[in-house]
Amino acid sequence: MKYKSWQINRRTFLRGGGVALALPYLDCMSWGKAKNADTLPKRLVVSYIAYGVYEPRTKDGTHHDWNWWPCKDPGPLTFNKSSEPFAPLKGSVSYLQGLEHVGGLGMGGHSSGDVFATGADMTVNEKTNNISIDQVAAKKNGHLTRYASVVLGTEGGTGAYGSAKTLSHYGPGRPIPSMHKPQEIFNRLFKPYAGKGVEQVRASLKRESSVLDLMLEDAHRLKRQIGKSDQHKMEEYLDSLRALEKRVERTSQWTHQPLPRVDTKGLNLEVSHKDPEEYTRCMYDLLYLAFVTDSTRYATLMLESEHSSGSEMWNYANYVLGYKGATHDIAHKRPPESGKWDNWRAKQHAYFLKRMRNTPEGDSNMLDQTVVLWGSAHPHASHSNKNYPIQVAGGNALGFKHGRLHSFKGKSKMPLANLFTSILNAVDVPTKKFADSTGEISDLRS
Amino acid sequence: MRLPIARLISLLVLIFISSHPSYSNIESSEKITSGNSGFNSQVLPFFQNYCVKCHGLKQKKGGVILENISGEMLSDQDKESWELILDALKHNEMPPDDAADQPTKSERLRVVNWIELELSDSLKRENNKEKPITTRRLTNFEYENTMRDLLGFDLKLSQYLPADPVKPYHFNNNAGMMMIGPDQLIRYKEAARKAMRSAIVDTDKPQIHRSFAEWDKNLIENNGLSQAEIGVYQGPGVGRKTFGIKSWPQTGEFKIRAKASGVFPDGFNYVPLRLVMGTDLRHDSGSGVYQEVGVAHIRNTSKNPEIYEFSGRIENIPIQPSIKHRNKTRPPSITITAQNIFDNGELNDHRKSGFDASWSSKAPRVVLESLEFEAPVMDVWPPKHHTRILFKSALRKEDENMYAYQVIERFMKRAFRRPVSKKEVDHYQSIFKLYSSEMDTFESAIREVLAMVLISPQFLYHTSIKDDDMKSYELSSRLSYFLWGSMPDNELSDLAESNSINDTEVINFQVRRLLSDERAKDFIKNFTMQWLSISKMKTVNINRDLFPRFLYTVHVGQRRGQEQLFRPTIRDYMIEETVGFIGEMLNKNMGIMNIIDSNFAYLNEPLATHYGVRGVDGLKFRVMPIRPENHLGGLLTHGSVMVGNSTGSAPHPIYRAVWLREAILGQEVKPPPAEVPALSDSAGESAEDSVLIKDLLALHRNKRECHDCHARLDPWGIPFEHYSAVGKYQPLVPKEGIRVRGYNHNKDMTRSDYEKYLKSINTEKVDASAQLPNGPSVNGMNELKKYLINNKEDEIAENVFRKLMTYAIGRELTFRDRFEIEKILKKLKVDGYGFRDMVIEVCKSSIFR
Repeated sequence: MKYKSWQINRRTFLRGGGVALALPYLDCMSWGKAKNADTLPKRLVVSYIAYGVYEPRTKDGTHHDWNWWPCKDPGPLTFNKSSEPFAPLKGSVSYLQGLEHVGGLGMGGHSSGDVFATGADMTVNEKTNNISIDQVAAKKNGHLTRYASVVLGTEGGTGAYGSAKTLSHYGPGRPIPSMHKPQEIFNRLFKPYAGKGVEQVRASLKRESSVLDLMLEDAHRLKRQIGKSDQHKMEEYLDSLRALEKRVERTSQWTHQPLPRVDTKGLNLEVSHKDPEEYTRCMYDLLYLAFVTDSTRYATLMLESEHSSGSEMWNYANYVLGYKGATHDIAHKRPPESGKWDNWRAKQHAYFLKRMRNTPEGDSNMLDQTVVLWGSAHPHASHSNKNYPIQVAGGNALGFKHGRLHSFKGKSKMPLANLFTSILNAVDVPTKKFADSTGEISDLRS
Repeated sequence: MRLPIARLISLLVLIFISSHPSYSNIESSEKITSGNSGFNSQVLPFFQNYCVKCHGLKQKKGGVILENISGEMLSDQDKESWELILDALKHNEMPPDDAADQPTKSERLRVVNWIELELSDSLKRENNKEKPITTRRLTNFEYENTMRDLLGFDLKLSQYLPADPVKPYHFNNNAGMMMIGPDQLIRYKEAARKAMRSAIVDTDKPQIHRSFAEWDKNLIENNGLSQAEIGVYQGPGVGRKTFGIKSWPQTGEFKIRAKASGVFPDGFNYVPLRLVMGTDLRHDSGSGVYQEVGVAHIRNTSKNPEIYEFSGRIENIPIQPSIKHRNKTRPPSITITAQNIFDNGELNDHRKSGFDASWSSKAPRVVLESLEFEAPVMDVWPPKHHTRILFKSALRKEDENMYAYQVIERFMKRAFRRPVSKKEVDHYQSIFKLYSSEMDTFESAIREVLAMVLISPQFLYHTSIKDDDMKSYELSSRLSYFLWGSMPDNELSDLAESNSINDTEVINFQVRRLLSDERAKDFIKNFTMQWLSISKMKTVNINRDLFPRFLYTVHVGQRRGQEQLFRPTIRDYMIEETVGFIGEMLNKNMGIMNIIDSNFAYLNEPLATHYGVRGVDGLKFRVMPIRPENHLGGLLTHGSVMVGNSTGSAPHPIYRAVWLREAILGQEVKPPPAEVPALSDSAGESAEDSVLIKDLLALHRNKRECHDCHARLDPWGIPFEHYSAVGKYQPLVPKEGIRVRGYNHNKDMTRSDYEKYLKSINTEKVDASAQLPNGPSVNGMNELKKYLINNKEDEIAENVFRKLMTYAIGRELTFRDRFEIEKILKKLKVDGYGFRDMVIEVCKSSIFR
């Protein structure tokens, strides 16, 4: 018995149907009507790619077609083959050269991804990493949405020191495991009551809240019984329990708001890593859905980790391009396919940006209300972790000006964290200093 | 040997080296006076003569500075540094053999001796030493096993938890890696609720769900097979029959009865039938998830069909959710897939697979006449796992609160792996009261309370509390988590209760008992996978032009040319080989040097065919004696190791060198530092296709910033070069830079055509000779093995012992553990470093206890 006709993949659906998703139009429309940009949600996304990008030079000094950077000289953007997917988004993207997190320098190219969203000084002061940009924002404004933030990845979990599988951290020693199974992400975001009625959910949350209180008491008792050096381990548990309590309270409050109506139609939630394009777009679609329903405003997405051997990520370049080696090798060995690999990654990211741009919000669109940072802490093959590949997109309505390649090479050293400070201020999280920042990045946002 | 330089770009890493200590007690004739006077008069001058040129304030190679080091070993940091120095000197890794000034052996050993004594003295003087952190949460592996033993049935719960961190060449069961955050705790809560929903059933007898499907063994279809027959191939994947079930209970055990037999063409007498359950398995798109239910090894013919029974828990089976498309709704379903996974290692070429079903008639077939699904199994109702918690007692009616108290207390004792105080039980009793006032049934209230027990730190963590009465329970737990990855059983708990566990003879006996239990297999697998860091071999992308018959591939559809899914593959078998090999060594208490070379291999038929060993039938693994021409023996050449440390096209000498040093010799190889340009950057892009691998490695070692580390790394990987990317002995390889003609299944049809094809591409002799650092020159694997056996036995034994100890106690070892380890190793050496002896000694040591 076959059910072939039922198994329709999203791409086929897109081609055939034109509209990808049955959107929760109501919510979407309501943003559309709101005239005042200030009442619209302001969002931020950090998205990470690993193993470096291709940065070849030509002999005659012209810009290489397959260099990750779209053009050679600072100034208005022109797009080469690698970056061509972003050409239609010219007014919404900027490229920033010469930036990095100094705190990651001692970590080696394959480990500095740990600090991409945190800027922590992991080799000297902060052995346990530190709070990430999305969590700074979530702390300030997270209460405005059902979920303070959404943390996604393609491999899931937290990973270990030096091989993070998440970009997000609540604070020192508090990594947030990334979610990587589309069906699970969907259920957590949009079906949090697992089919139960609201009243029932509210009653059980109320019970749970009092029970967690009791649990906390008991855990305190245990903490007193164990040795001194082990107590901070117990503190980790107590913190989590307290956070859980808060979350129960929050979930309870949100039961008074109706859940957004989201359909899985057109979403292939069972997609496997065997189909990287389908999978990657599904993750982006889920983010998009979280935004369009205003379920959250802050998200990170670790599309690739720097240690993916042992996961299907290792074979992405093979599945996508037929490249006969590991995804890691396509960056490190620089075969002719390297540029195509960058181009493929650019295509997926551009897909996400375009979806947001095509979604009206107020006088503009969702992308104009959202700052999207896309890049890597592992610029190219030599295990360098200076001069990250950095693209910033969106946020035009939040003061960002786009369409240029900026170079910060040579100037008195500007920390990448300055960009983070600017982003935070743009999304209504007044910030004087983030990690090692020394100010804002005035070239991009004034 | 010529291979694309491209393959090396990723190898171009600078590696700093430090090393673990190794055991050997050095007798020296003249001892250096202890303390400062000896330090100033002899040790410091030694450093100044032989070390500070590289390890001075200027060069600081490896970050080590010996110029103004102090002879006092006061702080922990001092002691750590001194241990590093000690090991480098003791193992004769320093000074490197290309240094101009070399100390004499006795000069070196005298300094070694001085450091050892000083370090040992300084430890004796310590009074307020910092205790290492041992509180850590259960790993997901431990969590799932513990739940299984606590509840009495197997639930795949770790799939609901965030993946645990893993780090190559490290164990993850330590405090640093096993963290908890709110997101983790939420998953624990959900998993605990799921578990309790399954463990405690409702009072009403549930409805039984049954489904039945049959196939006609007399109805011959177009392909020449009967309707009931399953050949080895079908469409793009493994031969199968499917059966969709539409109704099943939410929880409970299920049974599947398969009426089956086999058809065996000449030369065959056996066929394996595997049942898996889950969603639709789509070979072309690669989507689908499933859970294996079991494998039946069929030897009866279709004249005498037999009933094969399979069972499992329905909760573990992935469900195909309801799908809406156009105006139709397909209800949720579970598909039972029956597969013929016969594999003699000869089927994996393009001609026989794909849609050419004709070959199916030449290989053994499964005849599947019917499948009957039934759930839940009601032989005993309520099921045992229910009455184990809600035990039968009149008390329930007489005094429900009292009954609840007892239920909770019993459960807590087992969940906490120790006695519980009245205070602790009262705490959960009050939670019970809170629930029972609001919930409809006693069962649902108890479920909630026990779920809370399962998110308590006492359950989720390994703890050691300040109460001497608990020490024996903690020891029992340490033993069971080490050797089973799970909670103690009744016997261990009883020994803890009677306070008789902490006795050398008792421990000796218990370790043997635990190791002979089925659960010890979990330990062997978990330990071996992390110790040897081999899981990555499962995702290495194999070049099919170079190795056309290694993988079973899909021949049509979106995934054309890629590896077949949903079947056990040779990669799975390779991992089984390595894990089983270690299991054999443990069971037979073999000497540790069997990991370097052995007179046996652990194989099943597909794998034996791959390695070219004859006389192995069937999928079951067994110990096989081997001959020199097999080029096997030990762990070093296992497919799991060779594939995992290759590029998929070629061997990766640096990965293999790192593997040998980390996993076998126990030396820490640091990752490449940032900001050192890759060789290609300096050699120019044109170099990518022009330099020989050996030349490149040489270039690599001649560049100043690469030299120090790579001179001591690369040579360890070169002797592996005869073993291809798929782990086969292969002394001939393709020429550098040639474009290999793609394997053509029309042209290369027969076995001899295939051999001819391989001959036509593999023409260059491999050079596997290397000059080992501070050692001789070796050519190929045999010479490398010989060198290791003759010179590195103590180092290797120490490494394996330390790995076992680290895993057993869940923390990294420090200089404080050094001298006890040395003492134990001395004892183990007398009996030839038996592997089981090592495990026993770990458990008997004071470090463990």
